[in-house]
Amino acid sequence: MDLRAGDSWGMLACLCTVLWHLPAVPALNRTGDPGPGPSIQKTYDLTRYLEHQLRSLAGTYLNYLGPPFNEPDFNPPRLGAETLPRATVNLEVWRSLNDKLRLTQNYEAYSHLLCYLRGLNRQAATAELRHSLAHFCTSLQGLLGSIAGVMAALGYPLPQPLPGIEPTWAPGPAHSDFLQKMDDFWLLKELQTWLWRSAKDFNRLKKKMQPPAAAVTLHLEAHGF
Amino acid sequence: MKSTVDDARFPELSFSSNWSPWEEVHAHTPEQNTDLIFPRDKLVEEGSNVTFCYNSGINQNISCYLDRELIHGEQLYLNIFTFKLNNVPFIREGGTNIYCAVNYTIKDGTVLFVSKVLEEPKDFSCETQDFKTLSCSWDPGVDTGLFFDGQPSQHYTLFESFSGKKKFCEHNNQCNWEISRDLQETYNFTLTAENYLRKRSVNTIFNLTHRVHPKAPDSIHFNNVGATNATMTWKMPALGNYSTLLCQIELHDKENMRQEHNVSIKVNGEFLFSELMPDTAYMVCIRCANAKHVWKWSKWVTRTLITAEAAPSKALDVWRKVKPEKGLHHVTLFWKPLSKFHANGKILFYNIVAKDLDKKSELKLQSIPAPANGTELTLDQGSYQIQVTANNSVGASPASEIVISGDSGNEEVEEQKINGTKDGFLISWKPLSEDRAGYVVDWCEHQRNLHCELQWKNVGPNTTSTVISSDAFRPGIRYNFRIYELSTEKIAYLVENKIGYTQELAPSDSPQVKAINVTSHSFTLSWKDYDTEAQRGFIQGYRVCLKSKATQCHLDSVAELLPDNSTCCEHAINNPKQKIFLVENLQPESFYEFFVSSFTSAGKSPIGTFTKVTTQDEHSHMLMHIILPMVLCVLLIAVMCYWKSQWVKEKCYPDIPDPYKSSILSLIKSKESPHLRIMNVKDCTPDTIEVVNKSEGTKTQFIGIEKPLTESEFPKPANLYLLPAQDFCVPGPCISFVNHTYSESACDSGSCAHTPVPDTAPPCHLELLASPDNLLNTLEKTHTDSLGEIPAGKISLNYVSQLASPMSGDKDSLLIHSPVPVLCSEYKMQMAVPSCLDSPVLSENGSLSSMTLLGQDKHYH
Repeated sequence: MDLRAGDSWGMLACLCTVLWHLPAVPALNRTGDPGPGPSIQKTYDLTRYLEHQLRSLAGTYLNYLGPPFNEPDFNPPRLGAETLPRATVNLEVWRSLNDKLRLTQNYEAYSHLLCYLRGLNRQAATAELRHSLAHFCTSLQGLLGSIAGVMAALGYPLPQPLPGIEPTWAPGPAHSDFLQKMDDFWLLKELQTWLWRSAKDFNRLKKKMQPPAAAVTLHLEAHGF
Repeated sequence: MKSTVDDARFPELSFSSNWSPWEEVHAHTPEQNTDLIFPRDKLVEEGSNVTFCYNSGINQNISCYLDRELIHGEQLYLNIFTFKLNNVPFIREGGTNIYCAVNYTIKDGTVLFVSKVLEEPKDFSCETQDFKTLSCSWDPGVDTGLFFDGQPSQHYTLFESFSGKKKFCEHNNQCNWEISRDLQETYNFTLTAENYLRKRSVNTIFNLTHRVHPKAPDSIHFNNVGATNATMTWKMPALGNYSTLLCQIELHDKENMRQEHNVSIKVNGEFLFSELMPDTAYMVCIRCANAKHVWKWSKWVTRTLITAEAAPSKALDVWRKVKPEKGLHHVTLFWKPLSKFHANGKILFYNIVAKDLDKKSELKLQSIPAPANGTELTLDQGSYQIQVTANNSVGASPASEIVISGDSGNEEVEEQKINGTKDGFLISWKPLSEDRAGYVVDWCEHQRNLHCELQWKNVGPNTTSTVISSDAFRPGIRYNFRIYELSTEKIAYLVENKIGYTQELAPSDSPQVKAINVTSHSFTLSWKDYDTEAQRGFIQGYRVCLKSKATQCHLDSVAELLPDNSTCCEHAINNPKQKIFLVENLQPESFYEFFVSSFTSAGKSPIGTFTKVTTQDEHSHMLMHIILPMVLCVLLIAVMCYWKSQWVKEKCYPDIPDPYKSSILSLIKSKESPHLRIMNVKDCTPDTIEVVNKSEGTKTQFIGIEKPLTESEFPKPANLYLLPAQDFCVPGPCISFVNHTYSESACDSGSCAHTPVPDTAPPCHLELLASPDNLLNTLEKTHTDSLGEIPAGKISLNYVSQLASPMSGDKDSLLIHSPVPVLCSEYKMQMAVPSCLDSPVLSENGSLSSMTLLGQDKHYH
């Protein structure tokens, strides 16, 4: 059996996901149900961490692509990146999203982005870049598991995988390397936008899930007697 | 288009056909909004020329860029542009981006992959370590791999022409080739490097036995390790008995290589090292190669060999210091530790044996544990032979002998000064005797230490000079070198004693000076030798610096400017032994300051605090000559007077004998003579005093005082009160006598009393006489009042009275005043007294001073 570095990272990501879900298993959850608040907070924290991690990774990868992709004001047409899930949405629409839809969109977006990212990893030629991408993929896998945990805590079902998209699916070879580079650029950019949006989403959810002060008081009184 | 035949098995058959003729093809015009750049993702070698073609469609205003630089093209048609790039460089593995934009909006782009030129593998060679595998290695040069779909890294193929086998190499710098069991003797390898653009090959042909690179020897052991020899064994792995190996053995000590040996072996090797040093750590290195054809040596293998100890091989270098004290010799032995070369192991202890040469039997044994370098012995003043040996775990060194004779330590040799240099001291001496074993020069290296760190140098018997040098020598430190001659009996005799400095410095301190014999015109400065450590050179003399108010210096001194810009008169003393200096020609009662500095060849000691001296007054000594004898004389006289006072008193003021205490009384009582008795004054009838009335103005003179009275002075009556002691007042009477002769109203002796005394001052009212002043006043008043009762100028009297109290036995008791009035007895008898007793009784003004009498211990009336 040929074990490659990418597979090892995948196994590690699975392990992380399983560990992440362990608190949700009723038989193991002996401390009582603290509600979805802590999970949302952790998801929010993970989102901010991934934002920071991506900033470093994108700098390296865009230099590897070369100019004009590493120029700060570069904004190419999406062309082949139309299949990437878009993070930008109208503000009113975003506000009107319910929790389930908000979480579902996040989950679906990161599921797709993770698949694209793994394809990116296979193209990277330098070991250092491959290592950075693999590390980021693992973290992103953790974020996906974290969102799944929040959804489970809120009683929302996980969205079904889209037909034809396998977990290791990657976009097919573009008709030119230049267009491939543009797709890579948009992948990183969209990922950055999604992380920014997710931070807003989970912050909104976090505030929404905070128990009212009266309920806290009642809870304390119950403990007191 | 062209075709190529390329088969690694038949490289000689490789060839390429010619290019086919050009064919013209008409391309379709792109759709309205479709751009097209061609070729797409082109791969070229570094330095190539590339032409890009761009079909802009309907867009006219296009701009094309290479990475971020605008490139200018040639417009072939309305919508077709060509861009020619010459000598393209390699920029990055990700390729160079070429793209076209309209109004800064990218319409299309392509990636130009520029590959580095594939290099020919360098240093291609093959070798075997075990006759099973040939390991071929090379230097691949640059990696021509490109990212994306540009080009993978070049790959390598190994082809052996004799066997016709080919192998794709997994690594880009080495490849392993299995050796067939029949041990093919000769190999011809072709290594081919290949990428998308180029193929490069190198070839090597060799005999297998010439490419043997043995592995490093292992199982290295040292057996039978002694003090000077040891056996080493080792094995050669994996080569079997296919070839003979040559092994190279090197033996290093800490400093350099000592031995080198070559040994031929098959599989197991053995070598005997000899002539080794005892107790020494050696580094043994071994490597092997094929004996028939040395292709490559194996790696060096290093092991440490430590030889066993042996007994020390050299006698200790021993010296001594002898200090005679109270009939004993305190001997301090010093020795230099043996070098590692001579110690032959770790020195554990030193044995000292002292043998009395006179008695020849007594042995004193001491064992000093290492790492000592000396010990102390106390011996009597006989001759002793001392033997010192160093001992390690194996045995003792040869004994080092030294003899302490009875005269050791008592030698006195005059010190001689020598001049040293920075390189040391050249010391020479004259031999004492013809028969000598050598010389020893010793000195203390660190003089500042309380315990001298004795150093010594052995000099041969035929040498009379040597140079003593040491890194420890410092300028300004006095070193003392003693040269001993060693007799053949190992007795050391002091030959010479030399002192010197490597470099003299100016003294760091000045002598402590005292000013003595200070007179009005001179004083003397005196000082002593001071610490040689502060001298820092041989003192050549002194400078006396004298500050005074005088502006001019004497002829024997020169003005010297001091650091504080004041001046002093400096007197030079060029004799270092002179330690006294007379400063003269000074002004009396003047203030002087002086400072004495010493100087060496390097300069003067620093100026310190000046000492202040004030010369004496010119006449003070005369006063001393007069006053002192006078005081002594007065004291002498006073002592004499006190001593002879009793004698004077007896001569001039003898005690009035008391008849009641006279010795005659006992005589009377013993004889019981009825005719002999003491006359009682009461029984006596007072003498009749003749009173001569004189006319007014006649001078009256007291006999006692012999002082004439003027007419205005009235003679005062001798109205005396004798005050009884307190003891006698009760019940004893207070004795008072009155010369009733003076009273105009004379009364008889039995009834009259106090007649001349006024009523206000009764004679026995002693309260008023409690103090001498009161007494005196009272007496004078009484006296004056009495005078009032006598007509002035009418009476003149010559009389002397004497009283002896019948009860008075204690003379001192008269001084005690009693506040109780007592009865008084009267004295009616008077008698003349010698004239010599008059003067104390009378005061100068002619009054009779009772105070004088009362103030003395004895009463004379």
